[in-house]
Amino acid sequence: MLKVENIVTRYGAIEALKGMSLEAQHGEVTCLLGPNGAGKTTTMFTIAGILSSHSGSITLDGIDLTHQSAPAIVRKGIALVPENRLVFPEMSVADNLAAGAYCRPRSEKTAIDQDLAGVFDRFPPLKNRREQLSGTLSGGEQQMLAIGRALMARPKILMMDEPSLGLAPLIVDEIFKIIQQLNEEGVTILLVEQNARMALKVAHKLYLLEQGTVTFEGSPTEMQQDELIQRAYLGAGAD
Amino acid sequence: MLNDYVLTIISNIGMISLIALSAYLLLVTGQISFGQQAFFGISAYAGAIATTLWGWPFWLALIFGSGLAGLAAGLIGLLTLRISGMYFSIATLAFAEMIRLSLFKLTYQIEIDGELVGPNGAEGFGEIRWIFDHDISVMEYTLLIYGVLMLVLVGMVLLERSRLGMIFRMLGSDALLTRAQGLNPVRYKITAAVIAGFIAGLGGTLYAHSFTYIEPQIFNVMLGVHSLAYGLIGGLGTVLGPLIGVAIDIGFLESIRIFQGYRMIVFGGLVAVMLIFMPRGILDEARVYWIKAVARRWFNA
Amino acid sequence: MTDFVQNCIDGLMFGSGYALLALGFTLVFGVMKRLNLSFGPSIMLGAYAGTWVYLNFSDSAWLVALATVIATVAVGIYVERLCFRAIRRDSTIASMVSSFAIWMQLEEVAMHLLPERTYPFPAFFTTTTIEFGPFYARSEHITMLLLTLLLLVLLHVFLFRTRPGLALRLVSDNPLASAYMGINNSSILFLAFALVSVLGGLAGFLILSADTQVTPFFGLWATFKGLIAMMLGGMGSLPGAILGGLLLGVVEANAFWYGGAVIRDLSAYLLLFVMLIVRPGGLIGQKIVAKQRAADERV
Repeated sequence: MLKVENIVTRYGAIEALKGMSLEAQHGEVTCLLGPNGAGKTTTMFTIAGILSSHSGSITLDGIDLTHQSAPAIVRKGIALVPENRLVFPEMSVADNLAAGAYCRPRSEKTAIDQDLAGVFDRFPPLKNRREQLSGTLSGGEQQMLAIGRALMARPKILMMDEPSLGLAPLIVDEIFKIIQQLNEEGVTILLVEQNARMALKVAHKLYLLEQGTVTFEGSPTEMQQDELIQRAYLGAGAD
Repeated sequence: MLNDYVLTIISNIGMISLIALSAYLLLVTGQISFGQQAFFGISAYAGAIATTLWGWPFWLALIFGSGLAGLAAGLIGLLTLRISGMYFSIATLAFAEMIRLSLFKLTYQIEIDGELVGPNGAEGFGEIRWIFDHDISVMEYTLLIYGVLMLVLVGMVLLERSRLGMIFRMLGSDALLTRAQGLNPVRYKITAAVIAGFIAGLGGTLYAHSFTYIEPQIFNVMLGVHSLAYGLIGGLGTVLGPLIGVAIDIGFLESIRIFQGYRMIVFGGLVAVMLIFMPRGILDEARVYWIKAVARRWFNA
Repeated sequence: MTDFVQNCIDGLMFGSGYALLALGFTLVFGVMKRLNLSFGPSIMLGAYAGTWVYLNFSDSAWLVALATVIATVAVGIYVERLCFRAIRRDSTIASMVSSFAIWMQLEEVAMHLLPERTYPFPAFFTTTTIEFGPFYARSEHITMLLLTLLLLVLLHVFLFRTRPGLALRLVSDNPLASAYMGINNSSILFLAFALVSVLGGLAGFLILSADTQVTPFFGLWATFKGLIAMMLGGMGSLPGAILGGLLLGVVEANAFWYGGAVIRDLSAYLLLFVMLIVRPGGLIGQKIVAKQRAADERV
């Protein structure tokens, strides 16, 4: 499992993460909720090795990831689906997927080809658009591509940063169905979301991040029963 | 004490400072021009033609040359309005080279006292005899150069403190913000271009009369890049910045014999290193602010 | 009319050399969004190494080519470290000015290393004139064109069929996303410079051996030709670099024929200036400019 302990991450003189901790168990969907500016993306970046933490530790199944480089962390099994998808717009769907497998050694060529076929099976719209430039795909298709790209790294943990952002509600439903399906197939997912309602449906464990620290952790039921959170994030009449 | 050699260096510093200030002004408004040497050259030729071929008084030639340069600068500013960043910089480079190459084709000679005088393409434009004809000593001309430089400096300091100057700096740091304030960047960009062109022009006419011989090769890319580099080294926070840059290059490097033949190697390397650690020069905005704050505290104590 | 067509033929062949130089600029720009203005001088120093080998060691054109390429790569690494890697990501203009400053430095170094005005460069190819109909072409220019085409094919294979080539294209397209994929942007930058230096060295070798001499003006010349060609085609575009190079070659050949050397150079700059004002995206088009503006805003 992924263990994040007391991470402090700074942007210059400002502390974006003031000592936050979470645990993501294998086979589960762990969700990090919180308002804008709470530090959710900063957390993702710190785990992914794009940002360096000032103090604290990150371990995956006992292996220390704390100050490793981004390529090393990808190789150790953590893949990120970035906020706003960040596909490679001028490159084809196929090239985008190849990018996801970039860090895997050449000896895994057969496995990589298998994974590629798997991604196309999972996301048929992508299969039809293999050579299309990813910048011309719809929002939902780009999200599928971003997820598929991350899956190409055959990660132990799939991190997703706000997958619902900028997508129409129908598409959001679709994406979350995919998330659920992935998890049922055994993929461990660490999810960052603002859309609390959708998150509650798929998550096994939730953390609430506010201003750089975790202010709540628990199961979906526990979160729904908490009155303060009800009012602040779920609206008075939440289901 | 001040022999002619030293005076020549001092006057060079003065004249080159003008083109450095010209590039600096544009830099402050966020436009990186590799082409100020075009206006330096236009004014050099125009001013020299005015005195040598048309017999105009010096001050009139100075205004004529610089005015023409300013006008040309305004025209270029107008043409390049819609492009910015690297595209703008390359466009200024292209324009300057076009001017330089055109000067190779410029032949305009008049017979004076039985001799043909005037620009003659690649052979240049010699016999710019104004200082000889009027018995001006090196010392006197140097004072003239610095007189003009002082006027320009005073003008620029006043500009710095004025609303226009503030808008210029705002353009430089955030063009989008400027537009959001309701200010139309177009007017200010062109104003800056014209002023910068004029200042470069002042340097150009002075230069032509100081060296008494000019040719197209002088107004090449290297001159333009140097002008930029001076501000970048000396600092973009104050008008003294480009002057410091010029002093370091011409005053220090050029005159110290050890650097003979290695000046570019040292200067070029210096610029590169400066850009890593001090991308806005020695006297950048932050340092100038700090110096002013310290001075204020010191005076109040 | 024959003259015009002949000029176009000459222009296309010479333009292939320009295209190679433009590719060097555009590849670096694609990866880093910055211009390397020391490209020309670095090739010149490479050529000086080549000529030194020619004068002191061996007549073999292969060795000279090798020396040229290796020296160009060495200088390229120096420029990369000092002007590009060391400068902060968002200071694109700073890198440009820095590379310009190093250009000045390299020019002076060149003057010190080899103080004569001109040095011989081995002719790689035998000079004959091939005639077809009313037109003719010099064999060394045809060879240059063919070798350029070969290099282009190799470059294409590298970029589109190898893993490092993929990484280069990824970083050019979206450096941020590349970082998320675990691609080391610094290494890719280094790779780009090395690749471009090899390309430049080869381009320099081809151009100079057709000319059989190298002069201290070559650095300036190569930089400007490559820059103009790149911008004519569209900054950052590979096909643009080729088209731009060919266009420049044709325009220059005709301008030279009808007007002479000064008119030739003037036409090149005039064409560039007009292109920048009217259609900054070059022949390829506005898409590039829009993409860059978006990239700038993201930064």
